[in-house]
Amino acid sequence: MQSTIELDNLTIRFGRQTVLKGLKGAFAGRAIGLLGPNGAGKTTLLHTLLGFHQPTAGTARVFGLDIQREIKQIRHLIGYMPENDSFISDMTGIRFVRLMAELSGLPPSLALERAHETLFYVGLGEARYRKLGTYSLGMKQMAKLAQAIVHGPKLLFLDEPTNGLDPPARQRMISLIKDIRSTGETALILSSHLLRDVEECCEEVMILKEGEIVVYCNLEEERKANRKFLELEIIGDSQPFVEMAEHLGCECAVNGPCRIKMVLPEQVSIRDLYCLAARREIQIRRLNYKRDSLQDIFLKAMEGNRGSLQA
Amino acid sequence: MTDDRIVLDNVSKFYGEVLGVNRVCLSIPPGITSLVGPNGAGKTTLLNLICGLLQPTKGSVRVLGLTVDDPDLMYRKLGYCSQFDAFPKGLTGLELIYGYLRVYGYGNREAQQMAWSALETVNLTDAANRKVQAYSKGMRQRVKLAQAISHRPQILILDEPLNGLDPMARAEVIGLFQKVASEGAHVLISSHILHEVDMISDRVVLINNGYVVAEGNIHGVRDEMDEHPMQIMVRCDRPAAVAAKAFEQDHAVEVKVHEDGQGLMIRTRNADQFYLMLNRIVLDCNLTVEAVSPADDDVYSVYQYLIGTDGGRL
Amino acid sequence: MAVYKHNYQAYSGPLTSSTLRFLILARYAYQRIFGSRIFLALFLVCFVPPLGGAVFIYLQHNAKALQILQIPIDELIPIDAAFFQTLLYIQSSLGFLLAVMVGPGLISPDLTNNALPLYLSRPLTRRDYVIGKISALLILLSAVTWIPLSALFFFQARMAGWAWLWEHLRLETAIFTGSWLWMLVISLLALALSAWVRWKPIAGALIFGVFIVGGGFGALVNAILFTHWGSLINIGELMDIAWRYLFRGEGPSGSLPVWAAFAGLLGFCGFCLLLLSKKLKAYEVVRS
Repeated sequence: MQSTIELDNLTIRFGRQTVLKGLKGAFAGRAIGLLGPNGAGKTTLLHTLLGFHQPTAGTARVFGLDIQREIKQIRHLIGYMPENDSFISDMTGIRFVRLMAELSGLPPSLALERAHETLFYVGLGEARYRKLGTYSLGMKQMAKLAQAIVHGPKLLFLDEPTNGLDPPARQRMISLIKDIRSTGETALILSSHLLRDVEECCEEVMILKEGEIVVYCNLEEERKANRKFLELEIIGDSQPFVEMAEHLGCECAVNGPCRIKMVLPEQVSIRDLYCLAARREIQIRRLNYKRDSLQDIFLKAMEGNRGSLQA
Repeated sequence: MTDDRIVLDNVSKFYGEVLGVNRVCLSIPPGITSLVGPNGAGKTTLLNLICGLLQPTKGSVRVLGLTVDDPDLMYRKLGYCSQFDAFPKGLTGLELIYGYLRVYGYGNREAQQMAWSALETVNLTDAANRKVQAYSKGMRQRVKLAQAISHRPQILILDEPLNGLDPMARAEVIGLFQKVASEGAHVLISSHILHEVDMISDRVVLINNGYVVAEGNIHGVRDEMDEHPMQIMVRCDRPAAVAAKAFEQDHAVEVKVHEDGQGLMIRTRNADQFYLMLNRIVLDCNLTVEAVSPADDDVYSVYQYLIGTDGGRL
Repeated sequence: MAVYKHNYQAYSGPLTSSTLRFLILARYAYQRIFGSRIFLALFLVCFVPPLGGAVFIYLQHNAKALQILQIPIDELIPIDAAFFQTLLYIQSSLGFLLAVMVGPGLISPDLTNNALPLYLSRPLTRRDYVIGKISALLILLSAVTWIPLSALFFFQARMAGWAWLWEHLRLETAIFTGSWLWMLVISLLALALSAWVRWKPIAGALIFGVFIVGGGFGALVNAILFTHWGSLINIGELMDIAWRYLFRGEGPSGSLPVWAAFAGLLGFCGFCLLLLSKKLKAYEVVRS
C-alpha cells in the first residue's frame, strides 16, 4: 500500500532553533492522530508538508510526491483546516467556499455545485447566504471544514478542529470527521490536544516530542494488548469485595472509594466476580476492559527518552 | 448562613435588552464546581458576576459573605483566569505576575518569591523571563493560571482554563485543581470538555439561555430526572435472556438489543434493582459478560437531555 | 423508486488550467466591485474623454461637419503628442480614482481574518496570489488608459492615412509604455497599502497621501538643499518627466535627468513589492 507520508531525514531550522530534527519513516495510516506537547513541532510538520516552509535538510513525500519539487500537485490533494480563525468576513459562505473550490482547480459551475453540497453536509445549509462575519464560532469552524473538503481532497489536515466548540457542536464535528473517514477515499491527519478526539477519529497515532517522533503505533493493536486489565465501579462495600478478589488471585488497585482496577489471572473469569458481587449484594455498576490506552501511551512517551517506533 | 459559600440570590443581568442571565439562585460550597452550557448561554456572564466584574441588574452576589463593597477583602480571596488573552505589552511572564502581586500590597521580595513559585507550579520557569507576546498558546494559558493562583486565593474562578494545553499539562493542571480543592478552596471552572468535567467535578451547574437548568452532584441530578429512565448498556453473549428476566420485573421500560446481537441497552426506572438482578442472571443463566456501563449517568447525557441541541444549533 | 443518499464524496474530475488560475482572484474582485453603483458610474465616466477625443478626431477630418458646426479650421487643436499626452493625463487621473476605490479592498479582507493560509494551502503560490490581485487592477486600468487611447491612435491613423501612422509610431509606444509604467506604480502602491493598512478608507487616503506628501517633501528638500534630487520621492513629478520623454523625447528643463526618473519609478515599484512580500506570509514564525 502506498504510504500516505514519507519523511526522509526532514529537518527544519528557524534561525538557531531546530524545530524538526531529522524525521524519518514511511507512514501508511489512513487516519493518523498527531499528538505532542506544545512546541513539539506538530504544526510545523503540517506546514512543511503543505509547502509553507522549505526544509533545511532532507525532504518528505506525500502520496509519493516530493514536497520540494511537486508541491502544487500535493496541494491539489490536500485540504487544510487551520487551528486559528480563518475566514473572509465580507464574503457569504457560499462565495467563500466556491472561491476556495475554484482555486483548487474545480471548474466554476462544478465548484458552485460542490460548494452548496459541502455547506449542506457540514450543517450550514441555512446560513450559506449570510456573510461569514456574522457567523458564530461553531459556524466558522464548520465553514473552515467546508473549505477544506469542498475539492474532495485525498488527505485532510485538521488542526484542533473542535477548538472552542460547545458539546453538541463538538459531537457534530467529530461525527462529520468519522463520516468523511469512513468513505475510504480521504485519509486524515488530526492534530489535537484532546486525546478523546484522537481516540474516536484515528486509527494510528504519531507522537512528537521536541522535534522527534517518539511513538508511531496502531491504536486497535494497543487496545487488544490491554485486554487483561479490567476497570470496575461498584456500589456497596468495596473492602470485602477487593479482599475476596485478591483471594482468588487477582491483582487489585483501588482508585477512589468505588473504582477498582484489576488484572485477572488465567483461571478467573468475570463470572467469578459476579459470584462475589451476588453474595454480598454489591452492584457492579461499570465493568469494562481498560480503554484509555492512548493516555498511557502518551504519558509513557513523554516520560521515556526515546520510545520505540512501532510501525 | 455559613460564610463558606458563594451565594447568588435571584440574580439577573441584562445588557440593555440583551439577556445575560435571568433569576439565578445558587449556593456553591467548597470543592470543584463546573459550569457547563452552550456558547452564549451566560457562563462568562455568571463568572464575571461572581468576580464582581459585573454588577447584577437585580439580586445580590455574596462571595464568602463579602461583596464588591469591600474590594480589598474580597479580591484577596479571588483569583480569576479569563477566557481571553489580554496582557499589557512588553512584560515578561515574571514581571506580569510580580506586578499584580505588588498591586495586592506584597513587598518586593515576597512578590518575587510568590511569582516565582506560581510559575513553578505551572511549569513555566524556563520562559519566565521571556516576553508574554512571544509565548505560544499553551504558555499564555499557563501564565494566566499562574497569575490566578499567585496570591493563594480562597476562590479560583477559571473560564475554560484547559484551552490550548497539551494532554500532560491538562493532567497537571487538573491535579492542581484537585489539590487546591482538597484544601478547602472553591474552584469554579467553565468548560466544554464534558468527560473532564465528569472526572474532576464534585458539582455541576448546567446553564442554558441565561437560566440555570440544573445544579448539584451529577449522579444526584441524574437521579432526579425521572422522566428519563436510566440507560444501562450490557455487552454479553445472550442479551435475550437478560431482556426476558428484566421484563419479568416491573422496572424495565425499554430494551434494545445491539445490532450485532452481542449486547443490549436497557432503560429502567430502578437502576439498583437492575444491577442486583444482573448479578443473579449471570450466575443462573451462565452468562458471559464482556462489559457493563451506565449509558447516561454522566454530564454529557444530562446535557443532552436538559439542553439538547437547543443551544448548539448553528 | 429510489432513496438518494447525499454523502461526502471525493473529487476526481477535470481540473482547470493551472497557469490561468490567478484570474479567478480578479474575477471575484470584479464581482464585488461592480456591485457598487458608484464604482460603475465612475467607470462609465472614464470613457467620456476618449469618446470626446474620438469626436474630435472625426471632426478634424470631416470638413463638412466643421462647416455645419461653424468651427474655423485654424482654431482646431492638432492631433499630436501633446493631444495624446493630455488625454493620458486625464485618463490616468480618472483611473487613479478607480484605483483608490478598488485597491484597498483587494488584500486587507484576506489578512484581517487570517485567510491567507487557506489560499496558500491550495496550488497557489504567493506569486500567483499577487499576480491575481494585481491583475484585477491592471485589467481595469488598462481598460481606461492604453486600450481606449490606442484605439484613438489607430482611429486617427485610419483617418489621416497610414503614412501618419509610421511617422507617429513613437506615440503609440509612448501610450503603451507610459500607461503600463503608471499602472504598475499605482497598482503596486495600492496593493502594498492594502496589505499593510486594515481600514479601507485610510488606505485610500494614504494613496493620495503618498503623492501629496511626496510632492511636498520633494519640493522642500529641493528648496533647502538647492538640488533636484529631492524630486525622487515626488512620484507625480517623476511620472511627468517620464511621460514627457516618451511622448516628445525631451529631457526635462531644470529637473532630474530622465534616467533618474525611470530608475526612481522602478525603484518605487521594487519597494512596494518588498513591502508586499513581507506582509504576505502563510505563517508567521515567532522567534523566542
